[in-house]
Amino acid sequence: MKKFQVISGPFIKDAGNTSKIMRHLLIALMPIILFSFFKNGILPYVSNKVTLLGMFYPLIFILLGATSTVLIEFLYARLILKKEDDELKHYMHSSYSVFPGLFLALVLPINTPISILFFGCVMATVVGKLLFGGFGNNIFNPALIGLLFISIVYGPLIAERGGYLNALEMDAITTATPLSNVATVEGIGTYETLVKPYGSLYNFLFGTIPGSLGETSAILCILAFFYLTIFKVIKWRIPVVYVSTVFAMTYVIGGFNNLGIWYPLFQILSGGLLFGAVFMATDPVTSPTTPIGEILYGLFLGILTVIIRYFTPYPEGVMVSILTLNMLVFIFDKIGARARFNFNKAVPGFLFAWIIILGLSLYIGNQYKVSAKKSDPEFNILEKNVSGDTTNYVVTQKGFSGNIKASIVIEEGFIKKIDILEIKDNYYSKVEKENYIEQIIDAQINLELVDTVSGVTITSSAIKKMVINTLKDYRGE
Amino acid sequence: MARGVKIPSCKKDTLNEKIVSYSKPKKIYIPLICQNDTNITVLVKNGDYVHKGDVIARRKGALKIPIHASVSGTVKAIEEKPYLNGQNVKCVVIENDFKEKRANVVKVKRHINNYSKEEFINKIRDAGIVGLGGAGFPTFAKYDTDAKINTLIVNAVECEPYLTADYKLIQEKCEEILEAIDAVLEINGIHEAIIAINRNDTKTKEIINTFIGTYLKIKMVEVPEVYPMGWERTLIKQIKGVTYKKLPSEKGIIVNNVSTIYAIYEALKYDKPLIERVITFTGEKLNKPQNVLVKIGTPIKEVINSLGGYKEGEDICLVAGGPMMGCAVESDELVASPTLNGVLVLEKNENEKATECLRCSKCVEVCPVKLAPVLIKDSLKDPDNLKYLKPERCIECGLCSYICPAKIKLRDYVIIAKRKV
Repeated sequence: MKKFQVISGPFIKDAGNTSKIMRHLLIALMPIILFSFFKNGILPYVSNKVTLLGMFYPLIFILLGATSTVLIEFLYARLILKKEDDELKHYMHSSYSVFPGLFLALVLPINTPISILFFGCVMATVVGKLLFGGFGNNIFNPALIGLLFISIVYGPLIAERGGYLNALEMDAITTATPLSNVATVEGIGTYETLVKPYGSLYNFLFGTIPGSLGETSAILCILAFFYLTIFKVIKWRIPVVYVSTVFAMTYVIGGFNNLGIWYPLFQILSGGLLFGAVFMATDPVTSPTTPIGEILYGLFLGILTVIIRYFTPYPEGVMVSILTLNMLVFIFDKIGARARFNFNKAVPGFLFAWIIILGLSLYIGNQYKVSAKKSDPEFNILEKNVSGDTTNYVVTQKGFSGNIKASIVIEEGFIKKIDILEIKDNYYSKVEKENYIEQIIDAQINLELVDTVSGVTITSSAIKKMVINTLKDYRGE
Repeated sequence: MARGVKIPSCKKDTLNEKIVSYSKPKKIYIPLICQNDTNITVLVKNGDYVHKGDVIARRKGALKIPIHASVSGTVKAIEEKPYLNGQNVKCVVIENDFKEKRANVVKVKRHINNYSKEEFINKIRDAGIVGLGGAGFPTFAKYDTDAKINTLIVNAVECEPYLTADYKLIQEKCEEILEAIDAVLEINGIHEAIIAINRNDTKTKEIINTFIGTYLKIKMVEVPEVYPMGWERTLIKQIKGVTYKKLPSEKGIIVNNVSTIYAIYEALKYDKPLIERVITFTGEKLNKPQNVLVKIGTPIKEVINSLGGYKEGEDICLVAGGPMMGCAVESDELVASPTLNGVLVLEKNENEKATECLRCSKCVEVCPVKLAPVLIKDSLKDPDNLKYLKPERCIECGLCSYICPAKIKLRDYVIIAKRKV
């Protein structure tokens, strides 16, 4: 006797499945991970800035992030859900727990301590995912939840440890990432103050600028976008609309101040915008599912990012934009589903978005004025006495822990004397031992030649910056 | 509108096999159902002798359409048998006397163009002709319209994978089909006919090209091999670039399946009602996949046995219809009916466990009627919201379930929602 199986159709299925989608995502991330290793590991190593272990540190860091979230979810499934054998295997196979940790590691600064990375992974998995019922049910992007907790709780601590700068970048004159630099520039900035300190826009394109581990290389994000779109992994409309919106708005803002095309390009190439747009905003679980919904989502992501970048002290904006709009995905879907049958249903949404885009761009364009003057917010002049050819400065510069206070004497354009008045660093003796101050005075014509003192990198580079800032003020730059 | 999705065609097993006929069923079971309507008057009783082609039942209501005996013999009983929708349906059982007796001597018409429009409509109604593509809509009703018809589209697309019944019919009966199209055009004063065929179906293209030369009003149009290209709305949009509200006649268009056209031919030429059709028998668990001309009411089991039966193995999945829209039936007692275009004998599906929806939006992208299946599934418990998602528009093409990477059977959810609205 034959047994007839009665199931509902269709009786053929597309060969694609969730695991294949996730595999493509992993493949798309590989070049970005390798580039991070190259930029933050190999380059500093060949310049003798880090040890062999330091060279592999970026890879280890990313790997630890990825394995942490897997481990946490495994423990949850095993100990709390009490799953065993096949069930456990199936759970782990279909929870895709490697991604929150992997993404989190890629959006963190290299100077994040491992313990904090782990804290973020716990938050990403528990708060970002499991509280909502696991994979497929979460409202917020888990990796960004992890990043949010880390930024709030440990942001200052990580900044103190050097923030986004890798060992090589710490020695360069740049003070921070391009976007945090924007905040220190008065007004809207110029090519000289925004782009020049990092080389040219090509550096932004290829990714040799300071930033989180995975976000700096725009070209690799763009390649990943095409790869993921061709294999139908991501909702391509979201990144396209998101990035275009930021581009259009900053184009208008820049245009108002007669800045060239470089300005909107600078805005979309800096920070985590491209990485966030391609990998985070398109996270399928937490983004809208209808074409119109996706487009509106992209528009408002762009608007929100511009608002945050120009009106708040936070230079980045991508994380907060995505997390905020994650909450509203159901509204975008509601509009999107109705607009499928009748486009008019989406018209108010589009009108609203376009009015904000236009109004906001014009407003910001009008408010901001170009200013070439660049000031380092961590640098302060307490006293400045001019007597004849001699100028006496008392200045402070933010150092490893609190401010470094020093008096600097400049005579006929040259530094004669530097006295450190106050410093909080237990290892300062090392700086003294190396005759670092003397080195600076000797090499004052080209301070970039002075190497920082290893082991007291932050303090020594802060001293150098303090001297550069003082000289700038003296020359009226 | 989404332009359709490329899906594997799986047609090669039967594409090079000629249509055979199976004409020796001992008993036939004529299903008393028309377009899922079982409101049918039976005109015969136990013990009656019926000729082949006699009317044995008639559908009630507005679209009265007769149902005919497909053999000559004695009416035995009314029994329930599985129908292609998976449900049991009452059937008139006729014991075949193998004499193939007709009530009247058949007069073969030499010129099938010599009908008035009224005679034509009466003819195809009395012949019980319904849309053989699957919908089963009475064909005469399409022509019995006041709207001005400019174009007849002959649908030979057959976008369901595995099925080749229409392909084979047009290949083997091309001259007859062209003749019938020409007659339909002339009788109804229609300007042009377009035969829509699959772009990759080179053999059919060649055959049509051989014969089409003498028919100036008939042309052939190639359409991409995507699913559901054979659906009326998709096909009209593809060929004419227009959409319509309820019926294609609004835009002066009639669409007929190529098998329906052949049935029209036989009705006009031989006065033959709709008592047989070509069905594709295929699938990896069938010994000899082939297209078979089968009398309506023939038990499928007999045809399968005549094709060498099933392959080894106990567990199979027997599907009535194509793999996308077809329905798995409980047994091979299934009987042939006018809208049964295929029988698939497939391996047991190891029923891949559905995983969590990852909201990838693929089901939304592929839906030919612009539904958002994922949102419909989410809103099943929220009738207010469900209303706006219009699940009632679903044509059950199956693409959402087909494409889902989490293997969720979205169509089932949409059908549930459809009933709720």
